[in-house]
Amino acid sequence: MKKSLFVILSLVLIAAFALSACGPAEAPATEEPMQEPAVEEPMEEPTEEPAAEATEEPAEEATFDTYITIWSDDMLTPVLLGFVEDFQNEYGIGLVVENVPDRNDQFPIAAPAGEGPDIIMLAHDRLGGFADSGLLAPIDLGDKAANFNPAALQAYSYNGQLVGVPYAVENMAFFYNTDMVDTPPTTWDEVMEVGGALVDAGEATYALALAGTTYDAYPLMTAFGGYVFGTNEDGSYNPQDVGIDSEGMIAAGDFIKAGVEAGYISSSTDWDTAHVQFETGEVPFLMAGPWALDRLRESGVPYAITNFPSETAVGAPFSGVQGFAVNALSDNVLLAQAFLTEFLATDASMQKLAEGSNRPSAWLSVTSDDPDLAAFGEIAAVAQPMPNIPEMGSVWGSWGDATTLVVNGEQDAAEAYGNAAAQIRDLIAGAAAGMVNVPGSWQAASGACEGDWDPACEGSALTDNGDGTYSATFELPAGDYEAKVAMDGAWTENYGVDGAADGDNYAFTVEADGTVTFTYDSETHLLDIVIE
Amino acid sequence: MGVRLKKQPKIPSGTLWKVTLRLLLLLAIDGFVIWFAMSAFAEGYFQLGVVIALLGAGTNYVILAKDLYPIRWMLVGLVFMTMFAIWPILLTVFVAFTNYGDGHLLTKQQSIDLFLQERYLPEGGNAYTWTGYINENDEYALWLQNEDGESYLAYPGKPLIPAAEASGLGELDEDGIPASVGDYKRLNAIQVATNKEIVDVQFGTDLDGVRIRSAREAAQLEPKFEYDAEQDTLINHENGQIYTPVDGTWTSNKGDRLSFGFRAGVGFDNFTRFFKSSALRGPLFHIISWNFIFAFMSVFMTFSLGLIIAYIYNDRSLPGRKIIQSFLLIPYTIPSLITIIIWRGMFNNEYGVINRILESLFHIAPAWTVEPNLAKIAILIVNLWLGYPYFMLITSGALQAIPEDLYEAASIDGANGIQKFFRITLPMLLVSVGPLLVASFVYNFNNFNLIFLFIEGGPPIPNSPTRAGYTDILISYVYNFAFAAGRAKEYGLGAAITIIIFIIVAAITLFQFKYTRMWEEVGENA
Amino acid sequence: MLKNLTFKQRIWLGHAWRWLVAIILVGFAIFPVLWVVSASFNPSNSLATAKLIPDNVGLDNYRYLLNTPEFPFLTWLWNSIKIATITTVLSVSITVLAAYPFSRLRFKGRETMLKLILLIQVFPGLLAMIAMFTLVTQFGAIIPALGLDTHAGLIMVYLGGAMGVNIWLMKGFFDTIPRDIDESAMVDGATHWQIFTQLLLPLMRPILVVIGLLTFIGTYGDFILARILLKSTEQYPLMVGLFIFTSGEFSKKWGAFAAGALIGALPIMTIYLLLQDQIVGGLTQGAVKG
Repeated sequence: MKKSLFVILSLVLIAAFALSACGPAEAPATEEPMQEPAVEEPMEEPTEEPAAEATEEPAEEATFDTYITIWSDDMLTPVLLGFVEDFQNEYGIGLVVENVPDRNDQFPIAAPAGEGPDIIMLAHDRLGGFADSGLLAPIDLGDKAANFNPAALQAYSYNGQLVGVPYAVENMAFFYNTDMVDTPPTTWDEVMEVGGALVDAGEATYALALAGTTYDAYPLMTAFGGYVFGTNEDGSYNPQDVGIDSEGMIAAGDFIKAGVEAGYISSSTDWDTAHVQFETGEVPFLMAGPWALDRLRESGVPYAITNFPSETAVGAPFSGVQGFAVNALSDNVLLAQAFLTEFLATDASMQKLAEGSNRPSAWLSVTSDDPDLAAFGEIAAVAQPMPNIPEMGSVWGSWGDATTLVVNGEQDAAEAYGNAAAQIRDLIAGAAAGMVNVPGSWQAASGACEGDWDPACEGSALTDNGDGTYSATFELPAGDYEAKVAMDGAWTENYGVDGAADGDNYAFTVEADGTVTFTYDSETHLLDIVIE
Repeated sequence: MGVRLKKQPKIPSGTLWKVTLRLLLLLAIDGFVIWFAMSAFAEGYFQLGVVIALLGAGTNYVILAKDLYPIRWMLVGLVFMTMFAIWPILLTVFVAFTNYGDGHLLTKQQSIDLFLQERYLPEGGNAYTWTGYINENDEYALWLQNEDGESYLAYPGKPLIPAAEASGLGELDEDGIPASVGDYKRLNAIQVATNKEIVDVQFGTDLDGVRIRSAREAAQLEPKFEYDAEQDTLINHENGQIYTPVDGTWTSNKGDRLSFGFRAGVGFDNFTRFFKSSALRGPLFHIISWNFIFAFMSVFMTFSLGLIIAYIYNDRSLPGRKIIQSFLLIPYTIPSLITIIIWRGMFNNEYGVINRILESLFHIAPAWTVEPNLAKIAILIVNLWLGYPYFMLITSGALQAIPEDLYEAASIDGANGIQKFFRITLPMLLVSVGPLLVASFVYNFNNFNLIFLFIEGGPPIPNSPTRAGYTDILISYVYNFAFAAGRAKEYGLGAAITIIIFIIVAAITLFQFKYTRMWEEVGENA
Repeated sequence: MLKNLTFKQRIWLGHAWRWLVAIILVGFAIFPVLWVVSASFNPSNSLATAKLIPDNVGLDNYRYLLNTPEFPFLTWLWNSIKIATITTVLSVSITVLAAYPFSRLRFKGRETMLKLILLIQVFPGLLAMIAMFTLVTQFGAIIPALGLDTHAGLIMVYLGGAMGVNIWLMKGFFDTIPRDIDESAMVDGATHWQIFTQLLLPLMRPILVVIGLLTFIGTYGDFILARILLKSTEQYPLMVGLFIFTSGEFSKKWGAFAAGALIGALPIMTIYLLLQDQIVGGLTQGAVKG
């Protein structure tokens, strides 16, 4: 018995020590840059740099007192690695760049545990969730702000504060096969006409292949007036205004459905398939992003990039802004901020980032001799920033399902998008959907709730009187109180004095211990407070 | 049973050196446990320390108590199981009662610390852009410029010196910033920022002093928040509001909320939220019944095929047996991440190879991804492909346990091959493989990866009140609800849902335990 | 009709139908894999499965895999083999030791423990990953050699699953070995340990090999735990490394992934070929009859 224990234990221990002692002994295989045939200019830079850099890395015996760690993606990691040597030599600070493809999932777990990077590369639509959690430290660009594309800075801000340094703007564009089409169509009806003629003549399999059901089809939807979220006066998105069942969206759905039925639009909405169809000349038109440039060029298909066709509105893609944000829980917040504003936000660095990423830069003075990127840049002018409000997370699934149902011919666009919008509104409203509450400083005092100002407290919720009014009565000790009306158990929709959205608090005084009756009118949003 | 116990050999505890060895080992373990637990407490990992201490105590008990002799055999396994299987489960259960998720990722202390670090510029305070300098004694100085173009030189603890009165200035650059000040050399902002304490240094006196706020700006900053530990409130000096935590969210007496909160217990909120949510209004009946069909068919098909293969190719006299079996193992050796996607391509309605073959042979092109029943069949085929090698391996091992003489006896009774299979092979096999069938059933019951990678739960069910697909199983349906479709990542809600699913699955498992008693009884007879 | 055949003919017939079935089964088994092979030779990194033979066949993906310094493929492969081997040896030892008393000894809580082991396995583990991360982070703060980004830490976590459902398989196998064997040895004065090591262990060989293979393949193929616990590229096992190729949002390197997956399958195939006879070995020897 002891023997068994002994054997196992010692095995475990030996293994533990052996493992900790022996790191990977062999150096990464070879440093020869891969010789890829027929690669165009933008690709060459990044492949050369990491190779040159990697020879240096084993010689990284030079250890530093301080390190900056960056989590990046597969595209930018080589570019950033190219900065390492210069940066380390100049400042005596170590720079570690890691390719962490699933960093969006890892960061919220790693950062609070103290295992996060100092800097993380993020698309702007993920900023909201992280900033709301206190994970991102704000950035002050000072007068350098003038060097950035204002729209990029706008997108990379949350609650009016810049939370990172943007480096690239990306959006989709409309591609057409120049062998098959002479002049690019300007309306979607034309697309079907031109493409349909090609299909009828047997020169194309389809007029159009959709590469997806949401993001990738959005430029078509916007052309008919479809939208996802309406905007407030200040340009921010309004989660209460869901446009998935808007007339425009349904019109776009009808258009797609008609196209599929006519055999002009492929019923497959697979990203890969759509791209292959365009690359092999089976389909004359494609909506694609700059990330597809490499493979399109490699395929040799003759293409040109142009504006999206319009119908009742201008066809507009979503735009995304890529950038770097600072981990608020890092030990080196100031250093990370300084790295971004003083080292990365410079002409030289931004130029390299732009060349390595194949994206239009967010830094205005970056020059590019790539006409394709210039074309993408032009379309950016009409692009709509991808909503960075957390409610966007509730949209994707239902939206995509609805488009799938339309493409498959299972449902009419009105039905499919109508139901999807209902699902989305339901999710946004949350579990407490329909709750009318009067959160305020009176809640705990009444004994109805544990804490004050809790919009989700069921104890203080008003009951529906069935005539558009809601009311409830509570006993309160004497005192001064404040309150507000909040809907759906959250603050997203709330009304203050005079029924104003996001208005001031109602104040009321209970002279002697007594009862208070709240009555809310859902028409006028007014709250009536009766004290007895 | 009792008789047998008496027949067991004496537990060898007699010889002196063995006892000594055991005590020494125990001493070593205890030393390690105590050191580890102490370190854990020192690091602030209270829970970990307690778990380790308890495990240590348990180990002592097991090694010292004679009647726990059987447990000694599995002691190491139990320790690892407790630490890395049971403990994480308990932690997950714990998370289910908290608001852990976006907006509430930090501990309370972390959130307080972050707020305490915030500083603000009071009205009338001055803000400057700064340039840093350092001398040989590692002392810093700042060159400050305000918006009006006035410049100052600032040393810690000394009044600001207007540029005109400053002496020892080196050559000025185009922005009017000197290259050096006396024996202070100019630094890049990055080099200044290398010093982690620099943000706490006040340059100037209490009257005019500034602190570095960012890589560009230094200003007369004041701490924005103060934490009152007694009242458990955060006081904002800028606007005077007092914030108290409500369910992990700092909420003021005016109803304002600070941007981020912390992890806090919320009782059964996550559970009530789930039960009130629209998730339960979805096509639950369809999802659950398909879930059972899927899990049962998957196990049945993979086990049957695996067993058949093991049965007919375990004959050593068959030429090429090794090659055949190796080929048949291939699906198990290639990551399902890629093979599922390959299958997905093969089932593509228009371009998939399966439909192209069917079309050329039979002139049919089934709509695999559109037609609900076809999608289900496709998933089962894929899962059969992915899963049969597992049972092929297991059954070929387990078949060896069946005593040859049983077959011989059956042959004498005149049983043919098929009868032998169903009367001897199968029942004997189920002795050891039965529990694995249960485990496999449960695994497939929760086989989120396959459903998600292959078809994402599709095709979608029209007019469902929440998002659902015809091939959605319970776990893909609710995880979609908790993670993909939610407004934010809500680990607390996810954990609550996990527990609900666990309860369902555990009930199924125990049910199967009760009504398929195959293992215990047959095992006893042997 | 069969009765008219000679013994030899009957043997031959027996082989023939099994070969016929084998062709169908192997076809089913490797057909999708052909597409993986195809993707691995396709330089366009596309998984679109329109053509089995890509337009321009090339070794680019293999070259990329072996020659890109950012992706130390051979290191990954070695890491995987190392981690899986150590885990397998330790895990099988733990399992077989634990299974013995479950089969041969009677003690209080025996059934409860067996049920508990099964119940633990059925807990949906996705969220426990977060707990696992925290746990290993804390371990690392105390013993850096067992922390995040160490293979030892990862193996330690894998061993938490050693007392898993395989205990049942092992116990079932023990159960089918007649007790007469150990009882007669006991009469001769053998200890449990002697019975276990000298009598039972040799008989367990087929199931030990099977469970070893299962553990090896399971550990080798894991990328969820490894992904969470290992951070630096040089520490990755193969699956995590390959996972990186496919997780770029718009630039999934399916070709390289396919190539890596195929190379990665070789060690498992080799091990299986080597150990195959050990699994089937028991049958003809009739060792059970003692």
